[in-house]
Amino acid sequence: MRSAAPIQMASAGLFQMAGAARVWLALSLLAVAPGCGLLGQRPAWELPPPPAREAPVVQPGALQRVTLDNGLRVLSLEDRRLPRVVLGVTARRGAGSVAPSDAGLASFTAELMKRGAGRRDALGLARAVDEIGATLQVGAGWDSMTVTVTGLSRDLDRLTEILADVVRRPRFDAGEGEKARGQQLAGLEQGKDQPATLAGWATARALYPDHRYGRPLEGTPESVAKLGAADAKAFHARVFVPDNAIVFASGDVGADDWHERARRHFGSESGWSAAPAAPETPSPPAEVPAQATVVVVDRPDLGQAHVVIGQGGISRTSDVRISAQLMNDVLGGSGFSSRLMASVRSDEGLTYGVHSGFAFRRQPGPYRVVTFTRAPEVRRMVDLLISGIEGIQQDPPSEDELAKAKSYLVGRFGLSLETSASVLASLVDLDVYGLPDDSLDTYRARVRAVQVADTTAAARDLLHPRRSAIVVVGPAETLVPLLEGLGPVEVRQP
Amino acid sequence: MVLGIAWAAVVPMGSQASPAIEDPAERMRKTELENGLTVLTLEDRSTPVVSFQMWVKVGSKDEARFTGLAHLFEHMMFKGSKSIEPEEHARLVQARGGRINAFTSRDVTVYFEDVTAESLPLVIELEAERVANLDISEKTLASERQVVLEERRLRTEDSPEGQAFEAIAALAWRSNTYRRPVIGWREDVEKATVQACRDFFQAYYVPNNIVIAVVGDFDTDETLEQIERSFGRLEPADEIPRNPNRLSDQRGERRSTVHFDLRAPVLAVAWHAPAAGHPDAAALDVASQILSAGRSSRLYRSLVYEAQQALYAEGGYWELNEAGLFYAFAGVRPGASIERVERLFYSVIERIQTQGVSAQEVAKAKRQLEVDLVNGLVTTHALASRIARDTVTFGRVRPLSERLEAIQSVTPEDVQRVIQTYLTPDQRSVVRVIAPPPDGPSAPEAGE
Repeated sequence: MRSAAPIQMASAGLFQMAGAARVWLALSLLAVAPGCGLLGQRPAWELPPPPAREAPVVQPGALQRVTLDNGLRVLSLEDRRLPRVVLGVTARRGAGSVAPSDAGLASFTAELMKRGAGRRDALGLARAVDEIGATLQVGAGWDSMTVTVTGLSRDLDRLTEILADVVRRPRFDAGEGEKARGQQLAGLEQGKDQPATLAGWATARALYPDHRYGRPLEGTPESVAKLGAADAKAFHARVFVPDNAIVFASGDVGADDWHERARRHFGSESGWSAAPAAPETPSPPAEVPAQATVVVVDRPDLGQAHVVIGQGGISRTSDVRISAQLMNDVLGGSGFSSRLMASVRSDEGLTYGVHSGFAFRRQPGPYRVVTFTRAPEVRRMVDLLISGIEGIQQDPPSEDELAKAKSYLVGRFGLSLETSASVLASLVDLDVYGLPDDSLDTYRARVRAVQVADTTAAARDLLHPRRSAIVVVGPAETLVPLLEGLGPVEVRQP
Repeated sequence: MVLGIAWAAVVPMGSQASPAIEDPAERMRKTELENGLTVLTLEDRSTPVVSFQMWVKVGSKDEARFTGLAHLFEHMMFKGSKSIEPEEHARLVQARGGRINAFTSRDVTVYFEDVTAESLPLVIELEAERVANLDISEKTLASERQVVLEERRLRTEDSPEGQAFEAIAALAWRSNTYRRPVIGWREDVEKATVQACRDFFQAYYVPNNIVIAVVGDFDTDETLEQIERSFGRLEPADEIPRNPNRLSDQRGERRSTVHFDLRAPVLAVAWHAPAAGHPDAAALDVASQILSAGRSSRLYRSLVYEAQQALYAEGGYWELNEAGLFYAFAGVRPGASIERVERLFYSVIERIQTQGVSAQEVAKAKRQLEVDLVNGLVTTHALASRIARDTVTFGRVRPLSERLEAIQSVTPEDVQRVIQTYLTPDQRSVVRVIAPPPDGPSAPEAGE
């Protein structure tokens, strides 16, 4: 399960490559990544859209919330359609809560939590999970750590036990710490082979020079090299405290049953007592530079240049989040409906995909426009992107564009209600950011309430393309002369 | 020609089911229109969404003159028709929050829309419009060609994994059209013509070569009527051209090296394996699980966890309509030896060949496959894909009970036998994607 709410997601899959593992099947298929008129009757595309059938967010009575006496929140969403369950625990601190010099600690801790817990060592835990066909995931996000276990409901006892072991009793063996560190360092080195990864790293560093957000989620070679199992153990103890966490279940399990299991495995009677959660490490926000800066990461062998135009954004809890999202959907967040896609792909054939979006985090995360094109076209691409961003400031979303963007967001929200696991993920996300419990119920109305004046203000106040970081990964020899005049150019090695 | 209204046949699914898992596909209705279009409908009012998928039985294996044409054409399906502007189809669906995309493989081309229920009528009309009235012009082809070339750079030319994948297919399949990359060779994409696209469209985008699957929140009768109205007037083709399936014997190991500026080399190994529907398929699936599924799997344990030589390591059975491969794929850790990773791969396989697998491992693999089947029922999209894929590949939907039975009947001896039979050194093709040597641009390639 993701810690990010599905309702925040735009169609990022349009042009992204699969991750390192499971490459084979991903490589065997190619997506288009755009991602008859009837006699005597007007075609459906000429008619106004019928009113959206608004499914309830959850079925009546299916959702239960309880708080245990140690402060742990318990959430369950019953859905008996299939004999499977998704169980999990989310703690409200993540990679963003440590100093830049400790970058990578949250990811390292997550990995070590999978390498042995309770009476089982790393291999024993892996076997216990695999034997019942279950999936164990431990994820470190910027603002939260999440453990989920998915499997068949007939294995509920084993699944609950695994969840409790991993959350409460990870072993943090020193030998596993050595192995996990080696793997994390190797992963960072491999990231240099992936142009999109390099572009993301360089953008973060340019926008947040002294902030944790300026380092990769998985850390840097310097910060990871000094990590050991004891560091992970201490971080785990600070983060996984009951009054800072939520335990949840969706699927084929009743509310009373889950409440009882939660009390037994995670309540104060299990020895998990309330403790103050670690404070956030305060970090300075992104600076808005006086002028654009250009960073070129040199990969002489590439034929394609990866381009990011980045700047500071807004936080997850910002009052203008929905207006900003609607404005962004018009600009570059809604696939073929967006202005940038029309400009750089449909009209110019410069790229296979372009996407823009805010990274909504506890503190304002970056706002990024991301694309790629053949290296000799990089200047035309950058100019089109900048003029597209300026365009939405000078010519803000029209009534018609805003109506389409709203219908896009509301429709996406409707799709996200298909599975109980994705609904629950959204509810947990609200908990992470301390947002009202009824936020999903009111979401569609809040989207519809946004006015043209709001998206106009969002475009005017939040975007500053002439003072952004322009990051390009590709052959510097070709790129640097083409990027002249945009701002000072810095060339870096991967 | 306008074909009659009534669908020719309504075929109910078989009623066998595993006692443990109810198979929603049992409620599926299969309808064949008079023009040969197959429509699979599975109404499920418990979900607020509906997945519409159009599976066209044409892939890169069917291309004649230009490689990459099936995929390029898939892109052209978004470039407008008589009544729809370029990309307007995708815009109309996305403006309602719908997910729309398409993909091309060696065997099929698939178009899909996942939408909330009220948008299904729009989707049906849009799909029928482009199949009936697609408009391919020099101008739209010129710009989309560039888009596809960017896709090729992204996925293949600038990607170590993409390089490995392209090279291993070309190496393992000498004579079969499966050897070509789905995205095509660059020169072919650059040269493909409007006329070639039009001919391709006429030959393959005919109702008797298409399967439509609709799963989710809709009314079956209403939807079938609409599909009949929209698609029923399309003319079927008398004959659909197919390339001969040329599978030549492999006599000895084949090796190839690709130089690329990288830090983590990629190793790809492939062995010939049977095509989809072979009696050994279930045993090969169990073998895949034992090798790759989860952290207790043999490849993860050996290469990633114990030897710490690989970032990831996986192997599995890849079944196509006319052939198959069993593959092994690893990302080599920066600084580690690719020779050692290759030896470790073979020692994992040889161990199974000589010592077999335990009953416990087989039981674990079966359970994983069972859970995968259940997970495939979670979304309307996954369910629609399953019924359409089965229909395209096997002419019917295999009930879950049948698949579970096939999995349950696999023995440890079966797993050992298929690994012994198929994963032999002389049936092996090996690709290494490695950094070029510091002195000079290329090293001589190892021969066969």
